Amino acid sequence: MADALVLKDVKKIYGDREAVKGISFSVREGEIFGLIGPNGAGKTTTLRMICTLLNITEGSISVCGHDVMKESEEVRKIISYLPEDSGAYKDLTGRQYIRFMAAFFADGEKYHQMVEKGIRMSNLGDRIDSKVSTYSKGMMRRLLIARAMMPEPKLAVMDEITSGLDVMNAYEIREIVRDIAKNGVTALISSHNMFEVESLCSRVAMINHGNIVEHGTPADLKRKYDANNLEEVFVRAVKK
Amino acid sequence: MNHLVNITKKELKELLTPGSIVSIVVVMVLLMSVGTVIGGEVEESSAAADIGVVYDAGAGIDPAASYAYLDTPAEIKLLIQDAYAYLYGTDGGTAASFIHYLDVASGDDDGIIAAMESKGLSYVISVPDAITSNIAGIKTMSGAEQTRIDTYFIFKDEGLFGSASDSVGTSLVGAMNSILSKKIADMAISGDSSYILQPLTWGGDGNHTSVNGTVYSGITPYALSGSMMSQSLMVPIVVMIVILMVGSVVISSMGSEKENKTLETLLTMPIRRTTIISGKLLAAAIVGLVYGVAYMIGMMFYMTGLTVGSTDVNLSDYGLSLGMLDWVILMAILFLAIFSALGICMILGAFTKNYKMAQQMTMPISFLAIIPMFVFMFMSWSALPALGKALMFLIPFSHPMMAMNNLMLGDMSVILGGMAYLLIFDAITIFITVKIYNSDILITGLEQTKFMRKLNKLFNMKKEDHENS
Repeated sequence: MADALVLKDVKKIYGDREAVKGISFSVREGEIFGLIGPNGAGKTTTLRMICTLLNITEGSISVCGHDVMKESEEVRKIISYLPEDSGAYKDLTGRQYIRFMAAFFADGEKYHQMVEKGIRMSNLGDRIDSKVSTYSKGMMRRLLIARAMMPEPKLAVMDEITSGLDVMNAYEIREIVRDIAKNGVTALISSHNMFEVESLCSRVAMINHGNIVEHGTPADLKRKYDANNLEEVFVRAVKK
Repeated sequence: MNHLVNITKKELKELLTPGSIVSIVVVMVLLMSVGTVIGGEVEESSAAADIGVVYDAGAGIDPAASYAYLDTPAEIKLLIQDAYAYLYGTDGGTAASFIHYLDVASGDDDGIIAAMESKGLSYVISVPDAITSNIAGIKTMSGAEQTRIDTYFIFKDEGLFGSASDSVGTSLVGAMNSILSKKIADMAISGDSSYILQPLTWGGDGNHTSVNGTVYSGITPYALSGSMMSQSLMVPIVVMIVILMVGSVVISSMGSEKENKTLETLLTMPIRRTTIISGKLLAAAIVGLVYGVAYMIGMMFYMTGLTVGSTDVNLSDYGLSLGMLDWVILMAILFLAIFSALGICMILGAFTKNYKMAQQMTMPISFLAIIPMFVFMFMSWSALPALGKALMFLIPFSHPMMAMNNLMLGDMSVILGGMAYLLIFDAITIFITVKIYNSDILITGLEQTKFMRKLNKLFNMKKEDHENS
């Protein structure tokens, strides 16, 4: 299977601080890949570089063969980014928000189809015509995931997708992500919730202080460190 | 009580930020400065000024002259000198030094205006030679006739209080009239009391004012300034409001986008960054235009209500109206200035983190709009000192504020220079905006830049040293 995302010796330096210290990993087409690590490890910075929001200081990133620095516009056509705690325009209704976003990707009949798909995926029922400002956290997250998935991206990048959600909403969101992967979309998710990543991802990379400390399938990593879960793997890998 | 103190302290801490304290101090200093400027203008307008007199230029002033029969030019000159001394509270010698006799024929309007311009005089009175025979007529009641004293002005846009000197100019003839009346009465010569009480007439058609090189009769600069006051006040206020509104819209939009994290999503859409910038600029410009038109209409009604009955001067009768081309130029300057505001706000907006910070970020743009507003409400471009002119020229929002008066008075060098400056200013701000939108600053803020990191490090080191000691 070909690689949808490849990072080679990627560094991000802010002044005299190295936020990301030359990391490398790749994500295969159609898999759910987890980037895990504690807060401040460099997860969000890495995702932002992949999504063309931040410039890369050193190294290279390619998405489906497109270099993010040299072909940023091409990359933005095939990715969808869902930032942590992101929101939508509060003065719009859910439907208006879906329409606004769909207009960046399609027009004519394709546009209408995309809007219908987005509304269906959000599963908000009648509330799709309510103002976004009246949505609960779970409803907001469903709307944003629908927005991210309706253009059928090749790579979906999601930062802390279930942070702040209750058990029911978090479960529902994880199910949506599984469905997305079944439909052939490659997903890169970041989280500091290692149990969530273990249940979702086929492979993971562990990042700490800007370095990849370990990567592989959850099963291989648990075996390698003789651990019961990824949390134990992470602790032992960091101490190594 | 402790709870109340606790809550009040917390609220005060939130409300009295360094930013809000600076804005309070700046507004106070601004108001004080404006007060001083107005005081200076009023003081200057009522101070003794050089005047010109068209009357018996060849003979000069006889320092030994005294009142006898009021039938010699020397006595008339003494009368003018005494009236001046009375009006400005000076002695006779000082008054004489301010009075300049012009070698021009009485009634030669263009010749008098040319002499005024060459000598830099604010106003001139023209006394006909017949004044002595008219006074003799009043005294003897044989062919009694009043003498019309003509006054000449050159209209300059000198701001709200600069034109006060014109009223002082006409008062000179009034003072002459009072003194002359008393002198005639003192001579106790029987005659028509109405002529004794009012041997002179002035004002009305006797006023002559040069506007843009054309001499108009029956008008004074004071009356013209009064009519122009409505727009002198209105234009700066409307421009200031539009700039503040537009600035607030753009910066708040950026603050809101960052707070709701919608900006990150927007920046990953398959569109150019320049399209995002253009869209935001265009929307804000349309809002600015709507604000501008709405406020202009509202202010026009307000000012009409405020000034109704105070003046019946039709400015277009004196060539002081705007043609179609002038309106086009005015709108172009307003548009360029709004664009400058938008450019500055897009740059400032890039550094905001949330809605609250966005509100504070509007402060620099508020100062840049309020300062020229205060200046041009009370002063005109031509009345500003060189340093003031330089400062006002550099502030982009000054240009639409002074454009209307400059267009009316045909001062095209300031208009065209201002347009060229605004074009360059706008190009630079757009260039900087595009650079910022293509950099990491938009996402990370200033904290992650090399300079700010070094500054923070330095600050933290000093703090640690202080705590350790």
